[in-house]
Amino acid sequence: MRKINNNLSDKIRDEIINFIEPDIYYCYQCGRCTAGCPLANVYEYQPNQIIRLVQANEINSIFDSNSIYLCLSCEICSSRCPQGIDIAAIMSYLRIKSWENRSFKEKLIAEFYKAFLKIIGIFGRSYEPGLILNLNLVSGKFFNDMDLALNILRKRKIKLFPEFVKDRKKLSRVVKKYL
Amino acid sequence: MKKEMEKFQEDIQLGKIAYFPGCSLNSTAMDFNVSLKNLLKFLNVEFEEIDDWNCCGTTPAHNVSEELSIILSARNLLLAKKMDYENILCPCVSCYCRLLIASKVINSNIEPENKMQESKRNLVLEELKNMGFDINQKLDFRVYSIVQFLLLIKEKIRNKYIEVKDEINNSREIMLLKSLKPVCYYGCVLLRPGYVTKFDNIENPTSMENVLKEVGIKSLNFSFKTECCGAILSLTNKNIVIELSEKILNAAQDSGANCIIVCCPLCQQNLDLRQSQINKYYKSNYKIPVFYISQILGLALGLSFKNTMIDKLFVKPDIRI
Repeated sequence: MRKINNNLSDKIRDEIINFIEPDIYYCYQCGRCTAGCPLANVYEYQPNQIIRLVQANEINSIFDSNSIYLCLSCEICSSRCPQGIDIAAIMSYLRIKSWENRSFKEKLIAEFYKAFLKIIGIFGRSYEPGLILNLNLVSGKFFNDMDLALNILRKRKIKLFPEFVKDRKKLSRVVKKYL
Repeated sequence: MKKEMEKFQEDIQLGKIAYFPGCSLNSTAMDFNVSLKNLLKFLNVEFEEIDDWNCCGTTPAHNVSEELSIILSARNLLLAKKMDYENILCPCVSCYCRLLIASKVINSNIEPENKMQESKRNLVLEELKNMGFDINQKLDFRVYSIVQFLLLIKEKIRNKYIEVKDEINNSREIMLLKSLKPVCYYGCVLLRPGYVTKFDNIENPTSMENVLKEVGIKSLNFSFKTECCGAILSLTNKNIVIELSEKILNAAQDSGANCIIVCCPLCQQNLDLRQSQINKYYKSNYKIPVFYISQILGLALGLSFKNTMIDKLFVKPDIRI
């Protein structure tokens, strides 16, 4: 993983403290966020630990664990926090910073985002067959979900040909900026 | 809030709502799209699809850049504005969430809370201007989710039901409905974050049940209403989705249900399409059909199996159709 330097780490922590309400120091580690989190059993750091790591300025440790990448943004943590801390927003912010710094640890998820956004850049809309083919090629699992693909085709529950947004030039330009 | 409701009622009377289907409803959730459109037509609710809409960006966009996600979603809002609409119906839960958040950024009456939000807003508006949209006009978008929308047209549903009830009593569609013992599953994003969506209790929502009550369908208590199904991790970390979705199926079975009613294309896909994978993984034997709420309401009001696209379900309900 690409480590970030101390300056950047400080900057990320300061931005979280200054711009995401309320202050993360309100956290008293009750663990309610973790109790509700659907992915707690696969996380390397639990949501309450992520908050502690931000307080301790250990941004690199966060970037190097799977938690922020697997987070589904279901927001159960934020909605249950007795102090009202927006944990999901903090996870999301960290994830974006990690993307900008090219230190996404979950490679397949990064590839998925890239493939999806590329498709949006080309067509303006999502195109599932292209997306799944692309992902299966990247992951090397060519026959992943083939059982489902056959079912879907049998039911014709998919559009086989992509649809284009007419005015997609300007849209593509914006999407490319963020890839 | 009350004022907002009145305004909405007025607009509905005038038939002023734009319809944003989104990519899922256009493809793998076509049953949701078709059944909902048929239901709305049957209820005489006028709506118009946003012309030349684009993908809202969903998870990949907002996990990569908040601005990108807002720009993609806001383009759709501004296209609706061009067609003279400010009320937007987003049946897909993910689209709803993204468009709602975008509306909270670009609406004229919103004051940014801090510097970061302000610079984000300016950047988004700048990009939209470059795309050729007029950003100086007054913008006041209201984005509705399917459940919220159905709740608002509850009376229409009730009246229609009273009107048609006696004619359709013996149809095969009604026989199917009578055999159902459903639980309502809301999924995770529909109601969260609570300070943005506002329309129901975030821990124990009841709006789907309330709508279904209007057509005489009683649903069972369910403790997993707002648990997460694993969503889009199905493409990259399949086992997580299989485990999370199994818990939901299991809880539904435990509460005595024989089907699940949902309102999100991704939840439906994970629970219905992947049920075969769940059964393989756990060596279990689930056979729980997962309907969209629009399908169930349609059937209850006398729409046919064909018009509600029941044949597109992977786990078939227990009736020969």
